Amino acid sequence: MRTRWQAVCLALFLVVMLAMPYLVSGRIIAVLNMMLISAVIAVGLQICTGYAGQINLGQAAFMGVGAYTASILASKTGLTFLLTIPLAGFAAALFGFLFGLTATRIKGFYLALTTLAAQFIFHFAVLNLPSSWLGGSNGVTVPAAEIFGLRFVTETQQFYMNLAVAAIMIAGAFGIIRSRFGRAFIAVRDDDVAAGIMGINVAATKANAFLIGAFYAGVGGALWAYMIRFVGVDQFTLFHSIFFVAMIIVGGMGSIVGALVGVFVIRTIQEVIATVGPNIADSVSFLGGDIVFAGMNVILGGVIALFMILEPKGVMHRWNILKSSYRIWPFPY
Amino acid sequence: MIGLLYALVAMGFVVIYRASKVFNFAQGELVIIGGFIVWFTTMQLGLSLWLSIPLSLVLAGLVGYLIERIFLTKLIGESVFSMVMVTVGLLILLRGVVLLLFGASVRPFPIIFPLKPLLLGDMLIPMNLLIGGIITIVAAVGLSWFFNWTRSGLRMTAVAEDHVVAASMGISVKGSIAFAWILGAILSTIGAMIFLSGKSLTFLASDIGFAALPVALFAGLESIGGLVLAGIIIGVIQSLTTNYLDPIIGGSLGSVVPYIIMLAILLIRPTGLFGWRTIERV
Repeated sequence: MRTRWQAVCLALFLVVMLAMPYLVSGRIIAVLNMMLISAVIAVGLQICTGYAGQINLGQAAFMGVGAYTASILASKTGLTFLLTIPLAGFAAALFGFLFGLTATRIKGFYLALTTLAAQFIFHFAVLNLPSSWLGGSNGVTVPAAEIFGLRFVTETQQFYMNLAVAAIMIAGAFGIIRSRFGRAFIAVRDDDVAAGIMGINVAATKANAFLIGAFYAGVGGALWAYMIRFVGVDQFTLFHSIFFVAMIIVGGMGSIVGALVGVFVIRTIQEVIATVGPNIADSVSFLGGDIVFAGMNVILGGVIALFMILEPKGVMHRWNILKSSYRIWPFPY
Repeated sequence: MIGLLYALVAMGFVVIYRASKVFNFAQGELVIIGGFIVWFTTMQLGLSLWLSIPLSLVLAGLVGYLIERIFLTKLIGESVFSMVMVTVGLLILLRGVVLLLFGASVRPFPIIFPLKPLLLGDMLIPMNLLIGGIITIVAAVGLSWFFNWTRSGLRMTAVAEDHVVAASMGISVKGSIAFAWILGAILSTIGAMIFLSGKSLTFLASDIGFAALPVALFAGLESIGGLVLAGIIIGVIQSLTTNYLDPIIGGSLGSVVPYIIMLAILLIRPTGLFGWRTIERV
C-alpha cells in the first residue's frame, strides 16, 4: 500500500467481497469459497517456492495434514475452530519442517523429489494407519465450525469465515516478506552460496521457508475440511499439488498478488471445464467418458508449459512492465 | 529382477539428465505412450511383432523428438526451475492427452516375450523379466560406453554441464538434447514392452516412472552402470519387505519402501552412490 489510491482500491475490494453474497448466486459463492481457500495455500507456496526458491510439489500433502488434524481435533475433542485452525497449521508446519530439513542439504529438482516423496508417504500413512485414527480409505467426517453457538453451515456463512481467515493470512504474508525473513528468502533464492557468505543462515532460512509454506497449507486444509465437512485421502494428490504450482506460475513467481491472480485464473478455468466438459462429452461421442478429468489435465499441463516457455515470470511481471511503460510514456525506457 | 526393469526405466531419466541437465518427471508418461504405440501397431494395425517393434521404436523416438522440439528447445539456458516445471507440466499434459485419445479403459497388451517362466531349481523367473534384465544390462553397457568414450557422448556431457558454455564451444546444444530425448523415449518404450508384455494396459501404468525415481537417485543421476546395481539393490529390498514385513503390519509397505530409501539417500549422500560431486563457487 504505497499510495492512497491503492488503499482506496483495497478498501473497495474488501467492501465488494463482503457484499458478495448479496450480489451473486450460491454457485458462485461456492466457487469463491474454493478460491479463498486455494488463495491461502497458494500464498504459502508462493512464500516457499516463489520467494525462497524451494521447489515444492507436496503442498497438497501439507494441506492434507492440516485437514486431517483439524477434522480429528474437531470431531474427537470438540475444540473450537479458533483453535483447530492454527493447530492444523502447526501440525502441517511440523510435517513440512521434516522435509525442510532435507532441503537444507539439497536443492533444485532433488528437492522436488523429496517433496514428491512427502506426497507418497502422506498417502501411505493415511491408508495404512489404523482406520480408527484417520479413517483409512473411508475418510473422516467433520462437524461444522462453531463459535459461541453460531454454526458455519451455509455457504454464505462459510464464505465470511474463509474471507476472514484468508485476509489475515494474506496480510501476514505481506508482513513476512517485508521482514528480515522475507529478505533472507529472496537472498537464498537468488544465490544461496552468496547468501551464506553474507552471513545468512542458509539452512535455517530454507527450513523456515518450508515451515511457513506448510503452515499456510495446513490452515487452508483446515478451512477445506470445514467447508467440505469430509476429509479423504483422494482430495490431496500430486495432481492437486501441481494445481497449486500452476497457480503461482500463472500469477508470477515472487509476488503475493500474483499468487492471488493465479488462483483466480486457474480456479476459473477449472470451473469452466467442469461446466462445459460434460456437454462436449455428449456432443463428441468418440471421446472417452472421463473428459472432464482428461481435459483438466491437458489444459493444466498446457498452461504450465506455455507459461514456462512464453511468460516464465507470470502475469504480474507483464502487468508491472505495462505499468512502468505507462508511467514513463512516451519514452521507451 | 523387477529392479532391473526399474533400472531400465531409470535409464531414461539418466540419459536425458546426462545430456541436458533436465530431470524429466514425465518419464512414466513416456512409458505409457510407448505402451500405447506398441498396442496400436500390433493390436489395431495387426502387424506382426517383427515389424511392429521396430516401427514402435521409431514412432516413440519421433514422439521424444517432438516433445523436445515443442517444449524444451525454447528453454535452453533457462533456470532449473523452468526445466523442472516444464516436465511437470508435460507429466500432466501427456497424461491428459493419453486419456483423451485412448480413454481410461483397460486394454490387453500383446505378448512380446514367451509367457512360460524359467525354472531354476526352486526359483520361478518370469521370462519377460529375464529377457528384460538382459536387455537392461546390454543397454547399460552400451550407453556407458557411449557416454564415456565416444565424441558425441562427451559432447552431450558438456551440454549438460552448461548450455551456454557448450554452445559457445561450438557444440550443438539442440542436437544433443534432441538425441537424448529420442533415446529416452525409446528406452521407455522398451521398458513398456518388458513391463506390460502379456498384461493389460491402462494409463495407470505410468506409475512405473515414479517407481524408477528412487533407483535413478540411488545410483546418482550421472551414472548408467550404477543403475544396474542400484536397481538390483532396491528390487531386492522391495521384495524382501513385501514378503516379510507386509504380512506383519498388514499394509503395502513394499510400495513406499523405495521412497523411504530415496529420502534417506538424499539426506545422507545427495549425489547417490556414483554421482558426481560438484563444487559451487560464487
